[in-house]
Amino acid sequence: MNKLFQRCASILNKSQNIYRNCSALVLKNEFHTTSTKFDLMEFFDSKKNWSETNIKVGRSWKLDELRIKSNTDLHKLWYVLLKERNMLYTMEHECNEKVRLFPNPERIDKVQESMDNIEKVVRERNIAYYKLETGETGERPVEDVINLIGLPEKYEKKEYAIPRFMNSRWVKPYLENGYINSVAVKKFLRLYKEKQYNEKRKAKNRDYNHVQQLLKRFPDLDMELLKSEYPDVDIEKAKRTKKARGHFMPKY
Amino acid sequence: MSTRWYPLYQRGNPQLRVFLPNFWMKLIRPTPKQLKNIVHFQCSMEMTKCDIKNYLEKIYNIPVIDVRTKITMGKFKKEVGKGYVIKDDDRKIAFVTLPKNMSFEFPDIFEKVKDQDDENMKSLEEAKKSFKSFINRNKDRKDVPSWFTI
Repeated sequence: MNKLFQRCASILNKSQNIYRNCSALVLKNEFHTTSTKFDLMEFFDSKKNWSETNIKVGRSWKLDELRIKSNTDLHKLWYVLLKERNMLYTMEHECNEKVRLFPNPERIDKVQESMDNIEKVVRERNIAYYKLETGETGERPVEDVINLIGLPEKYEKKEYAIPRFMNSRWVKPYLENGYINSVAVKKFLRLYKEKQYNEKRKAKNRDYNHVQQLLKRFPDLDMELLKSEYPDVDIEKAKRTKKARGHFMPKY
Repeated sequence: MSTRWYPLYQRGNPQLRVFLPNFWMKLIRPTPKQLKNIVHFQCSMEMTKCDIKNYLEKIYNIPVIDVRTKITMGKFKKEVGKGYVIKDDDRKIAFVTLPKNMSFEFPDIFEKVKDQDDENMKSLEEAKKSFKSFINRNKDRKDVPSWFTI
């Protein structure tokens, strides 16, 4: 599969744009450009940073800042960030090889966060466009299916080379004598259900006992609050039990 | 590719255009020594040879003659005191051949840092010396604090 990467414009220059300038005092943002160099040295940090132990950078791009950018700007910024991330990975690897400390490893997280945010914004726009044009989200369709061991699962649909009715490998386990009806799966489901039932039962008993103890220790409890906290417990029944009585003469 | 989901390629369809690739590549130091026009990369597992070639040519504008890849297995380790086995991730390594006239040598990044280390060691030794002389000076009067004499 041949993937053609979009050619990125000459704005892809180093680090100036990558981190947002976050100093509040700067009133006028001057536009800096460095000469673009397409080279293998782009995989390395600029030479003055090689011997640094502390490299100061700004923060990552926020969602709201990216939302007001145009698609082309986001596209260009993506490639700037991609290159920056590659550079950081390379430097980190080399530092590990040479048993040195990698200065400010949080830079990688910042770049990654920016990239995630760009992706989120692109996705938002895509959904908005699809909803306007087709009434659907355009996201990958998800289907509720029963998987091979008989449990419900969310299945993200994907393309197949052959249609579903021809896909005997897919149909086979769901047939009458298929895997889903086998003894092993049935046994698993039986035990699984038993486990789930036991968990539920234990939780119910635990709550019931706890309410009894609460009633014992705090006889003047706010009943409505108790009811809202433990909606499944029969409080009138719990009041009458021996455990809830307390070490005093009963009022009734 | 914002949904990170490739449509299936069928012959005759247009080639897939990737708008926001999230592939990463890192340049690694070759071991053992290589020819000058061969560069080693470590890249994300999903990349094919075509991807690597396009990535370098289109994003970094580096002419590529040939790409070979291999997948190396991560190391198996036993967690000390725990007993279970841990495996590192597998790595995809790409050997990229540049044109004959190009050459690339992996730079020595920590050259300056080494000099700094030497300087640090020198100053440390000096400090040690001065401390020793200070102790020698005050051999006979251990109870007197250091600020008492010049």
